[in-house]
Amino acid sequence: MATSMTETAGSPRAAAGGESELLLEVENLNVEFRTRDGVINAVNGISYDLRSGETLAILGESGSGKSVSAQAIMGILDSPPAFVTDGSIRFRGEDLLQMPEDQRRKVRGRRIAMIFQDALSALNPVFTVGDQIGEMFRVHQGASKKEGYDKAVELMDRVRIPTARQRVKDYPHQFSGGMRQRVMIAMALSLEPDIIIADEPTTALDVTVQAQIMELLSNLQDELDMGLILITHDLGVVADVADRIAVMYAGKIVETAPVLDIYGAPAHPYTEGLIKSIPRVDLKGQKLVTISGQPPSLGNIPEGCPFHPRCHRRRDDVCIPNEPPLYDVTPGRKSACHFWEEVLNDHNQ
Amino acid sequence: MGRYVIRRLLQMIPVFIGTTFIIFYMVYALPGDPIRALSGDRTLSPAFYNELRERYNLNDPLVIQYVKYMAGIVQGDFGETFRGRAVSEIIAERWPVTIKLALLAFVFEVIIGLLAGILAGLRKGSFIDNLVLISTTLVVSIPIFVLGFTAQLVLGVKLQIFPVAGLGEGLMSYLLPALILAAIQLAYLARLTRTSLVENLRADYVRTAVAKGLTRKRVVGRHAFRNSLIPVVTLLGLDIGFLMGGAIVTEGIFNIPGIGQQVFQSIRLQEGTVVVGITTMLVVVFLAANLIVDVLYGLLDPRIRYE
Amino acid sequence: MSETRQETEETQRSQDGATGAHLTRGTGAEPPPGSTPATTRGAPGQGEQPGKGRSLTADAWRELRRNPLFIIPMLAILLMVVVAAFPQLFTGKDPRNCDLITSRQPPSAEHWFGVDLQGCDYYTTVLYGARPSITIGIVTTASAALIAVFLGTLAGYFGGWFDIILSRISDIFFGLPFILGALVILTVLDNRGIGTVSLVLILLGWPTMTRLMRSSVLGNRDADYVNAARALGASDGRIMLRHVLPNAITPVLVYATVTVGIIISAEAVLSFLGVGLELPNISWGLQINVAQSYFLDSPHLLFFPAILLSITVLSFIALGDAVRDAFDPKLR
Repeated sequence: MATSMTETAGSPRAAAGGESELLLEVENLNVEFRTRDGVINAVNGISYDLRSGETLAILGESGSGKSVSAQAIMGILDSPPAFVTDGSIRFRGEDLLQMPEDQRRKVRGRRIAMIFQDALSALNPVFTVGDQIGEMFRVHQGASKKEGYDKAVELMDRVRIPTARQRVKDYPHQFSGGMRQRVMIAMALSLEPDIIIADEPTTALDVTVQAQIMELLSNLQDELDMGLILITHDLGVVADVADRIAVMYAGKIVETAPVLDIYGAPAHPYTEGLIKSIPRVDLKGQKLVTISGQPPSLGNIPEGCPFHPRCHRRRDDVCIPNEPPLYDVTPGRKSACHFWEEVLNDHNQ
Repeated sequence: MGRYVIRRLLQMIPVFIGTTFIIFYMVYALPGDPIRALSGDRTLSPAFYNELRERYNLNDPLVIQYVKYMAGIVQGDFGETFRGRAVSEIIAERWPVTIKLALLAFVFEVIIGLLAGILAGLRKGSFIDNLVLISTTLVVSIPIFVLGFTAQLVLGVKLQIFPVAGLGEGLMSYLLPALILAAIQLAYLARLTRTSLVENLRADYVRTAVAKGLTRKRVVGRHAFRNSLIPVVTLLGLDIGFLMGGAIVTEGIFNIPGIGQQVFQSIRLQEGTVVVGITTMLVVVFLAANLIVDVLYGLLDPRIRYE
Repeated sequence: MSETRQETEETQRSQDGATGAHLTRGTGAEPPPGSTPATTRGAPGQGEQPGKGRSLTADAWRELRRNPLFIIPMLAILLMVVVAAFPQLFTGKDPRNCDLITSRQPPSAEHWFGVDLQGCDYYTTVLYGARPSITIGIVTTASAALIAVFLGTLAGYFGGWFDIILSRISDIFFGLPFILGALVILTVLDNRGIGTVSLVLILLGWPTMTRLMRSSVLGNRDADYVNAARALGASDGRIMLRHVLPNAITPVLVYATVTVGIIISAEAVLSFLGVGLELPNISWGLQINVAQSYFLDSPHLLFFPAILLSITVLSFIALGDAVRDAFDPKLR
């Protein structure tokens, strides 16, 4: 299952004939949260790959399990209440889940780094940004305080924060939202990791700033040939930057495809609904399209196909008793819908 | 930072004037004859009565009285007792005792309180956490004089580990009272430390620190701690002010001749001048402690400093 | 005093220069909303559950109902309140029916708590002592809370010169060590009954709760739901009353619960020092005051009122803790 997804992946690097390595293989990952009110199945058997130089966008609404899966890769889930109950996460061939903690810690931050959504709360308010960026060098490379600060200035320059040398001793709250996010990015790429996971990096930012940040990420990725996992709920952000998209719903991946294919012709009713619900300037005067209903509570996922309560294509005799597996649509595309052909055909006209 | 300090200082001045004026007003301007109140049950000859009125400026308008009173305070004249003894002398005699007691109590408070709070916070939900929570709740609920009496009875009289009262045995005499005095403070400190630590351990920046590949020791010991200690340190600063103020009940129970006991006795003997004089001074100490704490807070939390 | 610090710190100002009855201290209560620097995370995707009232109050109440640490103190308090209101239900004896000969006898089958100094049945007098103590606690706290809610909401919502003046005034009261302040006032007053003592305590206690309410309102004032209400044309008064108040009042309610216990404790301390209630009022503090001279010979004189006092204060504080935990949205 894993290899077929990556062979004809739309990665520009691979297409251009350059060597792209297989960095990450997530296979059948299952994460559950055991709380006082019951078990929450946050991630239910997802699998995906990531190659160097490639951008994979994981798309989903709140509560789809996308952030949890990313945190599981980083190994930063609070356990309890979170437990990885099944699956493997292979980084360069080695299963991270089987590694002892001190080994895993060496991967964290150094080889796989993460950027969070709200930079103001994600950065420590009482240390300067130079200190926090420099900390990566002090801790992982034994650098001195001064060396750390110097490297921090370099990085701040690289992420295009103006007057970096003056600002390196400033505190997070003294920066604007966009600048703070650049600080986070600087911190994440300080040790030139193989993979960066960006969890909704632009959700809290203004639209123009969003574009700048996404461009920055894209450029940095090209420079460093990193793999980028972009977690978002915003289809617009994804279009420019991603090579492939994996759509998540109720803890499962319901569709994967190269970016261009999905926008033109989705193969799953949920994706179809998401795309249709983007307001379009050229369709003025018409009603806004929505997906009826609400995403399910992860403690109470509907049986059979988890999307069936909201799906206008559902057929009770098929969709309720049978949970759809990921059908192969074309090489490089999969869809977890019994009627993916119908969906595809509706859009291929 | 300097501007912040100056701003605080300036804000303190009207507060000082306001507070001391209120004290003054309460004693000298409330309904009833202040001389009667000050002299208690003693009967006074008319001549002495008038002399007292003169001496205490009671024939002047209230504001003038206040100004004269404050002028006196600034020069160190806190008034006199009815036997003619300078209140400032009494204060000078008693304060060192209270300071020793306060310092000892502070040491107990910091060591036990911080330790308990940190342990409880790090191991939330564990046995030790519940132990700390329950014991601190108990200590806070049982009135200090009950604690004091019980301790005195059990540890002093029955088990004879500590001296029962007075300063007869040097350092040992200070131990039990200091412990009792520290008890309630320490309970609050432990709870605050615990809450602060727990809250910070859940914070987003801790998750980021973990994601950076830092060791647990560093994440907790450097990142979480530094933030957790902010409210704790400010509480400690306030506590010094409180402890310096003298602990009326504790000193009373254990018969420690400090400021607190002085106030205690003066109330019973109805020596108004002493009470008012000491109270004024305590207000000063308290305001100073508040100022220090404000400054400390600004030092520790950069968000406040750059407002 | 630094308002920002006070807003981000718990309301644990010890103004007491003496006895340790920390009348303005919370017990590790969370800072008022809108001021916590760190955002936190919890279990994900609980999604919608249509049909179950998931408002915060409903959630809190559900949780409280199951929590023994709420039920037990609640029952204890209810018991004490009943005792205070109708002591006759618990003892058939008349507190004034005393026989000097039996003075200071230890507990026995006939006198469960022993006999007090005047020869009265101690069980009875201690039970009667509940009324002034608890009355002062509840009345003081309720009054101070009302003042606090009123002033605090106005100050927090409108700001401006009203807020500045109010802040300066409460600063002044904060500068006054609580017990000392109470001492000074009460010393010069003659007839100290329940009403007088309550008034004094209210006078010294309103600033803290007002401060708390004000910062809570401040935290809510710019919330989106307020802007939404305003956009729908709601008047300031309506916004304050129906929108901001119910949300902002929670920390004050929690604090008030704890405060009742603290006020009861404070009254006991003041009476113990001889400046609180006067005879013929009996309160636990007064009883302990009398008992202290005899505690070596007749410890029961000290023991029983102390136990009841402690249990009452403990119950209020434990109750406050449970309520606070139940209302804490971060623990969801």
